[in-house]
Amino acid sequence: MKKPAGMKKRIAGLPREVNQIGRTPWVLTVLAYGLPCVFILIPLISFLAYSFFWVKGTEVHYDFTLLNYVRIVAEDIYLPVLWRTCILCLEVAVLTILFGYPVAYFLASLDGRKKYVLLMLLLVPLLMSYVIKIYAIRSILGGTGFLNRFLMATGLIQEPLTIFVFNLNAVLLALTVLLIPFAVLPIFLSLEKLPRNLLDASADLGASELQTFVRVVLPLSLPGVVAAASFVFVLAIGDFLTPQMVGGNSGFTFGRIVYSQFGTAYNWPFGSALSVLLCAVVIIAILVGSRFGNKRGVA
Amino acid sequence: MASRRLLLELKSVAKSFGETRVLDNVDLAVEDGEFITILGPSGSGKTTILRMIGGFTTPTAGEILLDGKDISGLPINRRPFNTVFQDYALFPHMTVAGNVGYGLQIRGVAKAEIKRRVADALGLVHLAQLAERYPAQLSGGQKQRVALARAIICQPRLILLDEPLAALDVELRKQMQLFLKNIQREIKTTFLFVTHDQEEAISMADRICVMNDGRIQQIGSPLDVYYRPHTEFVARFFGDNNLISGRLGATAGDMRSIDTSFGSLACAVDDQPEVVAAALGGSAYAVVRPESIQLAASGGQLDGCDNKIGATITAVEFSGATTLVRTKPQGSDIEMRVKLPSRADGTALQVGAQVALGWRRVDSRLVPV
Repeated sequence: MKKPAGMKKRIAGLPREVNQIGRTPWVLTVLAYGLPCVFILIPLISFLAYSFFWVKGTEVHYDFTLLNYVRIVAEDIYLPVLWRTCILCLEVAVLTILFGYPVAYFLASLDGRKKYVLLMLLLVPLLMSYVIKIYAIRSILGGTGFLNRFLMATGLIQEPLTIFVFNLNAVLLALTVLLIPFAVLPIFLSLEKLPRNLLDASADLGASELQTFVRVVLPLSLPGVVAAASFVFVLAIGDFLTPQMVGGNSGFTFGRIVYSQFGTAYNWPFGSALSVLLCAVVIIAILVGSRFGNKRGVA
Repeated sequence: MASRRLLLELKSVAKSFGETRVLDNVDLAVEDGEFITILGPSGSGKTTILRMIGGFTTPTAGEILLDGKDISGLPINRRPFNTVFQDYALFPHMTVAGNVGYGLQIRGVAKAEIKRRVADALGLVHLAQLAERYPAQLSGGQKQRVALARAIICQPRLILLDEPLAALDVELRKQMQLFLKNIQREIKTTFLFVTHDQEEAISMADRICVMNDGRIQQIGSPLDVYYRPHTEFVARFFGDNNLISGRLGATAGDMRSIDTSFGSLACAVDDQPEVVAAALGGSAYAVVRPESIQLAASGGQLDGCDNKIGATITAVEFSGATTLVRTKPQGSDIEMRVKLPSRADGTALQVGAQVALGWRRVDSRLVPV
């Protein structure tokens, strides 16, 4: 009679295990959906809500108004600055890709350990303080900075140029330098994912290296390029620190306007409305990016 | 078979990666229009040979001659060969037609002609209706045929096939073997086919080059390598040959005897000058295929057999068309395997029964140890 007892125990144990299996994912699910909700969705909703409030003096009035949005459209500073900022960030995206693609291609073509050591070196700047990097770039671009001294040493210019600091050029250059790693990484990954035997097959069918690059490598790395572009664009358009520090008075970007509304003007509702606009642009950029990115590529 | 013109020749080719020697002194001649298979286990260097001919790797030593001219220095894209890769290597961003027409596009062939030739090539591999599909939408067998069409469209002198059927399931592989063989006959192009599958090699090739450990073991027709192995490796590589160790005895004509633990056996050595020349008393194996052995009740008649031994049945294994009988010859520890056509009544074979085994001397060979 011992055997059935043992069997009974085992059968009784079964539902408990099933219960445990059922419970663990439930906790995980709450965490997985709850954390983003608390830390991302609720802040987003709160600033969306704020954009419909208004301010008198330093006091926020919590009743519904569309005045903030009307003001964005009515005053002819916000939309033009937004437009100019978008163009600037597109330029940054194009520049980072033009500089980043060859770097990524070179990295992907290396073999073994060298490749990952160099990739690590490329990513080291990402671990550095953003502010320190901006200072470094500012000193490179400044009147007695490396760039001017280099150009004078080569005899291209006689006097230090002032076109590199405290204007939109400076913002463009600084953002490009800062964001290149973000462009290199997705392009590198898409190149690395590219099966080597496709290059062999192309050469086998008579293609030169250039033909292989144009017909096989470039089209297949396009998703990486698009991902890099939308990555850089989104990061650049949200940046207010870089324009603040190297842009001077003429290098005004949309991010700085938003920042000034929260910081100096203390108009959170208007700042929120501007942020909603910026957010819409970012979402559009991401959608366009993912649409393009999915169209082609290595399945 | 009538002797054909020489197309490609590998002369004393060797390849080392650092300290590791993957190919050692390989001599291989490929005749124009033949279907030659390089057969060997993984790591035998067979794919390295193919990659060297294709130009994907360069030999460390030796020459590769095309029509008598060295092409070792010629880059991949200038060699008149095309490859069917193991995992097809189809371009995922191009349609079937785009893939097949790629080589012609690269050569700057006019659009209308590309279209016509792509249609021809796809017709040849029975894929005309799938021209506008992308590789991701194709089955394994279809991808295989696209890869083949892509390789034949530029009319290469030689088509290199790198284990192209390895990824297919058994049924499909059988179909594709027949299909490849038929295509090869139809377009009369030389095929160099690399595989690790003995059956595949035997059923497709005009000639087989058996490789092991970076060295060529034997080159010959499927019948040659199957029934007339020259080395122990080849003897063991094709199925479950019986290898009986012994000491070499006297040579008489194209026969030589070998002294084994169960007596002297006569073996054919007609195409093996090195075995004929080997010293008396040297170690060797007598090789007999299990299906070449006749089995009779003890004391029964074994017609035409030059070698006869008595044995005890230790196991009978029915496996469909054939039945494998494991026996132990008297006075010996080795196992002799006999493969017989299966019979419905199968009862004639009893484990423990005494039987007589016999085989003709032309069915047994000698290989050096």
